[in-house]
Amino acid sequence: MFQQIIALLVIAFFLARIFRQRKNNQVSRTEFLFWLVFWFLAAMIIVFIKKIDILVAGLGFSAAGIDVILYLTVAALFYMIFRLRIKLEKIDREITKIVREIAIKK
Amino acid sequence: MNIDTKIFCIIPSYNEQDRIKKTILDVKKIIKNIVVIDDGSSDKIYERAKETGVTVLRHVINRGQGAALQTGNKFAYDNGAEIAVHFDADGQFLANEIPRLLKPLLRNECDISLGSRFIEGASKMPWTKKYILFPIARLVNYVLLGVKLTDPQSGFRALNRKAMENIVIEQDGSAHCSEILYKANINKLKIKEAPMTVIYNEYGQSLFKGKGRKKGGIQIIKDLLLAKIMQ
Repeated sequence: MFQQIIALLVIAFFLARIFRQRKNNQVSRTEFLFWLVFWFLAAMIIVFIKKIDILVAGLGFSAAGIDVILYLTVAALFYMIFRLRIKLEKIDREITKIVREIAIKK
Repeated sequence: MNIDTKIFCIIPSYNEQDRIKKTILDVKKIIKNIVVIDDGSSDKIYERAKETGVTVLRHVINRGQGAALQTGNKFAYDNGAEIAVHFDADGQFLANEIPRLLKPLLRNECDISLGSRFIEGASKMPWTKKYILFPIARLVNYVLLGVKLTDPQSGFRALNRKAMENIVIEQDGSAHCSEILYKANINKLKIKEAPMTVIYNEYGQSLFKGKGRKKGGIQIIKDLLLAKIMQ
């Protein structure tokens, strides 16, 4: 119970931060919505952690609910890194095009 | 196509100030139109190349050999080239082998003529390259790209106008060798191999590193896999 309260406080801190950033126009509307949904889901997981334990046990996982969520998070992070790598490659190609144009036009 | 065909020699170069002049002068005996691409070098290669009177294009930052070749290809194509010859700046290739490379193109027998170190009097090369690196390269090219040639990593090649038009090099690093062959394959361009000699120096490419950006065998495989995913 104590751990859940701490986790919710941390989430509340990040939520307050993202609201403040939105108010100061430091993040776009889409980004704001993404983080809002993200932290809301995180809060839901923490509030209903016992129910998730029962759910994952029912799905046949031997680990506790929080462990399964951790595995999924790692998988999501891998995916995000992969997307980032592709995005970087595309930016890299664009830079090359600019460098080429400069070289030929000079 | 005849011998008067407009031929351009493209020489990508990165920090090769000590060798560039000799390379240019050797090539100049064979080909009039030479385009040197200074790929963001930190040495005096630009000035040295300029002294020879050839066209020198400068990348403001280093982008890699593939990027430099595409810059040269684009310049040659835009200036009406019928054939573009790719030639290394580091003195590993022999300029007097260019006519032999050009022969099948001038006879309209193919769209790309590719120098090979493995046919007719193969070059003397380090055993690590001969027995480890190149067999791996051949396998990777065959598995990933469906290309079956004796020397897929050869940088000594000549492309006709049709090939220049169909092959836009997007691989900035050394993976451009495989990319060219892959694009030739999907565009149904005809490739012929011609024997060539390579003089190996200490600046060659190994499994893990090479001179300039995006070099080395492992990097090539990574780039090719990424390109395959991005398709």
